[in-house]
Amino acid sequence: MKAFQQNLARLEATDTQVLGVSMDSPYANKAFADSIGVTFPLLSDWGGEVTRKYGIYHQEYKAARRVNILIDKNGKVAEVALDREAIDPAKIVDACERRTLKN
Amino acid sequence: MRKALLTVLAVGLVLTGWLQSPDSRQLRAETTRKAPPAAPAPKVKLGAMAPDFTLQYFDGKDLKDVSLHDFRGKKNVVLAFYIFAFTGG
Repeated sequence: MKAFQQNLARLEATDTQVLGVSMDSPYANKAFADSIGVTFPLLSDWGGEVTRKYGIYHQEYKAARRVNILIDKNGKVAEVALDREAIDPAKIVDACERRTLKN
Repeated sequence: MRKALLTVLAVGLVLTGWLQSPDSRQLRAETTRKAPPAAPAPKVKLGAMAPDFTLQYFDGKDLKDVSLHDFRGKKNVVLAFYIFAFTGG
């Protein structure tokens, strides 16, 4: 999440809203956000309904996998970064900047 | 009489075999299963509509609703799923 915070200005420049999502409670997420200086919302998928709907519930962790999904203004999936690839948001930031150049 | 007895015995044998087989099959499955199954591919596909949702976050004062459809036609959205709060990344 910290890595997204560091890239937030670049993402906002491409009209992109970052939303963190985990299966923690809203209050745990707020404490986490404050402790690492994250200013975008960390959404609480308490119970994991959305995590399962997106097919990224991890049976062994009993939690979400690490996944970044870029959704365009039409609501379509434009880019996906999975697991290790999702630690560094570069793939998503690049995709956002490419799309801005194209438009 | 003897024939009837044999029939009962045969039926008994077949039944025992039938009752035991699921167990032995399970045992075999357990011994052959070593690596945990790979996590399934996400259901989201490039170019497909992302499933809509409404989730909450705490802004320090109130719980706020955020829906994916709020951003339609206005902004791109990055959903950054992470495993647990207070872990790296």
